[in-house]
Parts: sequence; structure tokens; C-alpha cells
Amino acid sequence: MTLAERPALISVRDVHKWYANGHHVLRGVDLDVAQAEVVVIMGPSGSGKSTLLRTFNGLEEIQQGRIVIDGIELSDDLRQIDAVRREVGMVFQQFNLFPHLTVLDNLVLAPVLVRGRHKDAVRQQALELLERVGIHEQAHKFPGQLSGGQQQRVAIARSLCMEPRILLFDEPTSALDPEMVQEVLQVMQGLARGGMTMVVVTHELRFARQVADRVVLMADGMVVEVAPPEQFFTSPQHPRSQQFLSQIS
Amino acid sequence: MTALWRALRRGLFANPLDGLITIALLLLLGHGIRALVHWAVHQAQWTVIKANSTLLALGRYPEPDRWRLWLVLALLCSASGLSWGLLRGPGWPRPDRISATALSLLAGLLPLALDLEPRVRWSWLALAALLLIWRWAVGHCRPALPPWLLRCWPLIWPLVYLLGMALIAGCPGLKPVPPTLWGGLLLTLVEACFAWLMCFPLGVLLALCRRSDLPLLRWGAVVYIELIRGAPLITLLFLGQNMLGFVLPGGLSPDRVWRAAWVLTLFAAAYVAEAVRAGLASVPRGQIEAARALGLNPLQTQARVVLPQALKVALPSLVGQFITLFQDTTLLSLIGLMDLLGTARSVLANPQFLGRNAEVYLVLAVLFWSCCTALALGSRALERRLRHEPSATQP
Repeated sequence: MTLAERPALISVRDVHKWYANGHHVLRGVDLDVAQAEVVVIMGPSGSGKSTLLRTFNGLEEIQQGRIVIDGIELSDDLRQIDAVRREVGMVFQQFNLFPHLTVLDNLVLAPVLVRGRHKDAVRQQALELLERVGIHEQAHKFPGQLSGGQQQRVAIARSLCMEPRILLFDEPTSALDPEMVQEVLQVMQGLARGGMTMVVVTHELRFARQVADRVVLMADGMVVEVAPPEQFFTSPQHPRSQQFLSQIS
Repeated sequence: MTALWRALRRGLFANPLDGLITIALLLLLGHGIRALVHWAVHQAQWTVIKANSTLLALGRYPEPDRWRLWLVLALLCSASGLSWGLLRGPGWPRPDRISATALSLLAGLLPLALDLEPRVRWSWLALAALLLIWRWAVGHCRPALPPWLLRCWPLIWPLVYLLGMALIAGCPGLKPVPPTLWGGLLLTLVEACFAWLMCFPLGVLLALCRRSDLPLLRWGAVVYIELIRGAPLITLLFLGQNMLGFVLPGGLSPDRVWRAAWVLTLFAAAYVAEAVRAGLASVPRGQIEAARALGLNPLQTQARVVLPQALKVALPSLVGQFITLFQDTTLLSLIGLMDLLGTARSVLANPQFLGRNAEVYLVLAVLFWSCCTALALGSRALERRLRHEPSATQP
């Protein structure tokens, strides 16, 4: 099956978001993300890429348009939003680990509370996940005792522990020291290879080039270009894409 | 020794002016202490304390039922020893050794100094022993206790309170003792404990309401907090004595002691709410977003992610609030309740003890000071425990 034939897990139609003060951040965004696809969203700051990502799990409300995640339409209905959040994991720029819980408890909290699973089973799974991201020796430490890169890997494992169908990454390496960026990107690359559906907002060109199925360029609250990475980086069509690429390279 | 001498010299006699100031202050201090000792040994008549020690401690609590108070004390000592042991573990660091020695000396010497009968003297020693045994036993077992038990132990305090109140006030099977007979330290502690236990959940609730998205809840909390904080406690106490009577239907109106306890509670809740609000504000937005993104509902987010962090931040100011509340109970004497200060004033009104103010008030000050210091020390141990949480939850 080619990408175009796979059913869309995320379907975004004509989405607008504006604030009461008249600031219009999203201006009619259309986007489809297929099962097991990795989409990288790039764009200058203020282009609305993080905001768009945060609408996918209801952290941001939209004023107009439709978002359907895995067959569930996001609306004002809180139960719909909760249902979507169970299927969609999110990794933040600032990690947002819970500092008062150990690494292991950070992973165990949500599956037990939200999915009602048994604590011992989740613990077992959490330890396996921590091993997969390479930090199982730190399971009983607190987040404050870990480096930034380790914290971000814990955050990824925490999302995975909910067994989501989609993972959203909001600039996952922007708050990291340069030497720690690679360890996080490697984990993400492994996930992509394993067939996880991912939407990643990032400035990491190499990651976009090597891992993404499609690159989306946003500017001024609109999607200006969607293209496979090799095409996007070698012959961008839209003038805004050309301008953006010339600015960052 | 020479190092100490050099440090003293550097600190106190660095130059002639420093030396002069030091000598002047030392002379002043020496004179003050000499005068105090002279007064305490030669002029003060401590009979006023000896003769009224029971009154100051219990008020007019009936003699045949006093065994119930001993039982309450035993409960309190057990709970304190238990908490102490859980907080500190098997070791006995120096502050613990000092506290243990001070406690034993206090239990041994104070009843002696007060000329209490031998039976009572031995009871005090037994209580101190009970506390230290709990401290030792629980501290010894702590490493082997399951983590859920370590997390639940603060719940024994409300339990002790309920049991204690049942013993003090009477319950089915025990003869009731009306609040009008409680007095002295007993009444002060009953009022303070009630207010401590009730103002905390109320304050947390108010703080959450104040940050709520629902305008009615938010404005309700704001109006309540600002109204309470805008009035002095003493006016609220008088208001409570006079108003609760006709605001509430006849049968429901609590008697004077409980009316005052409720006013104290409602007053302290407003301040607790502000302390908790500061803690809530210190929790970054990202924490809430992460919890929501993981699918936790708003209640779970508050209970499991936001509040634990907020309360840790608010703990020092909460303890400050609790200490203030304890001291505020002295205002109860102004509305005619026989709390510690009220009892002291009634003792001083007795012609037999006329003019013995200094002795009585000094003892009162020392009593309050010890209670508040104990609170402060306990809270500092709790803070340290929370800061070193890693060792606490390691399996």
C-alpha cells in the first residue's frame, strides 16, 4: 500500500484558530496523516506549527473546521477529548515530567489511573520501555536527578506506556544541550522504524531528511507546502519554503 | 580551644569600638540575667503555679473522669512517637538525642517541681517512655514497612483526634462532660486541633475554587477570602458568639466553645487558602498540560500532579499559619472562654494570688513557646524528609 491509500489517522479540514484579541494563528489548515506515517512540520517561529500540533489532542481549542483523530471527532465534548487523549501521546519541549514522582512512577501513573490497568503489569511494561530508551538503571531516581536528554527519553517512554496510536512531538530537542540531541533523535528514529504514527515539530534538518515520510512547511498560520523530504530539501516549490530553507542552512 | 578563642576575638573584639560595644552588651545582659535569677529564686512565689497547675492544665474537668485525659495523652504520645519514628528512621542523630533527653528530663523534673502526687509523677514518666518506645520501635521497623503505609501515616492524626474527642467529650458508653467544664491547656488544644484539622481541607478547597474556571466558584472564594482577611479575628469571634445563634436554627447552633472553634477554623481557612494558592501558582502550566495529554481528568490532574507539588511549596507558610492559629487561641479568653489565658486570668483574679502576674504569665509564655517550637521542629523534619524523597520511595 502506498501512503496515499492508507486510511488517515489524523484528518484536519479547514481549521481556524483565533484569539479574542483578533490574533489569527491558524488560517484554514488542511492535513492528513496516514497510519504509520512520520510527518515533520517545519516553519519559522510564530507560524502556528506548535499550535496546530496542540489542537490534535485538544490542548488548544479551534474556532472553525474539523479535526478527526482515529475516527473520533474533536469537539467541545470533554468525553471525546478524553477518548482522543488516550490514543494520542505527546512529548513536550520542556519534558514536563512530574518532579515529585520517580521515573518509574511517572510512567505508571496514567495507565493505572486512565486505563485502569493493574499496577504490577504496568510496572513490568514500564521497565521494559525504560530499557528500550536506555535508562532502566535510573527507574527509581527522580526526574531532577537526570540530564535533559535522559529526561526527554523518559518523557517519550511515559507517552509510550499509554500505548498510543499516535505520538506528537513538540520541538523535543529544542531545550537540550547539543550533545544530548542525538540520543533523543535515535529513540525517535527507532519508534518510526517500528511503525509508530508520528507528527514532529522540529528544526532538526537531518531528522526530517532521514526519517520523515513527508515534510510540511507552515507560514503565517497556513500550510504552504507538503512534500517528501528529498523533494522538499532539493527543489522546494513555494517561495516561502525557499526563503525558509535559505535562512536555516 | 584556641581556634574558638580566635574566632571569638575576631567576631567580638575586632577593633576597639567593637570591643567596647561587646563589653557594654555583655554587662547589660549579665545584669538582666542576674536580676531574673534573683527574682526567680528570692522574690517569685511559685506556689501560685503549684497550687493551680491542675486548673491551668484541665480547667474544671471532673476528677472521676480524668483517667480519660490520661488515655488521650497516651494516644497523643503514641501518635507522636510513631510520626517521629517514621520521619527519622532507625538512626538517632544528635537533634533526636537532644530532644529525647529533654523530653525525659521534662517528664521527670516538671512534676517534681510542681509537687504533684507520686502517682501522677510516675504517669508522666510512663508517658515519656511510651513516646520514646514508639519512636524506637517504629524507627527500627521503618525500612521494612510497605510504601503505602509510609504514605498513609498522616491519617492517624485525624483518627487520634476523633478518638481523643470521644474520650474528652464522652461518647455512647462514656459519661458526657460538657464543654463548659473544659479549660486551660486542654481547651486551648481542643480548639486549636479542631481548627487545624478543619481549616486545611477547607483552605485547599477555597484555593482550588479561587483558581477555578467557573466564575461563581472563583468569585465566591475571592469574596470569602477577602472578607475574612479584612476583619480582625477578635471581631469575628464576637460576631460568631452573637450571630451564629440566630443565623442557624435553634437546635443546630453549637455551644460557645464550638462556635469559637468554627470561627477560628473559618478564619484560618482563608489564610491557608492564600498559602495554598501561592503553592498552586508555583506549579508550571506544562505540568497540567502533560497530565491532561496523558488522559488524566481535571480531578486526577489536581489530586495526583498539581496538589502534591503545590503543598510541598506551601508547607513552610502553612506551618507558620498553624503556629499563628495556635497563638490566636489566646483571644478566646476575651470572649469569656476559659482557655489557657482565660484560666490564668481567673487565677490572678483570686485574692489569694494577687500580684503574681509575672510568675503566671512567664509560665504561660514558656508553655506556648515549647508548643510552637515543637511544631516548628516537626515541620522542619517533614520538609527535610520531602526534600530527600528519593530514599523514601526507593523499594
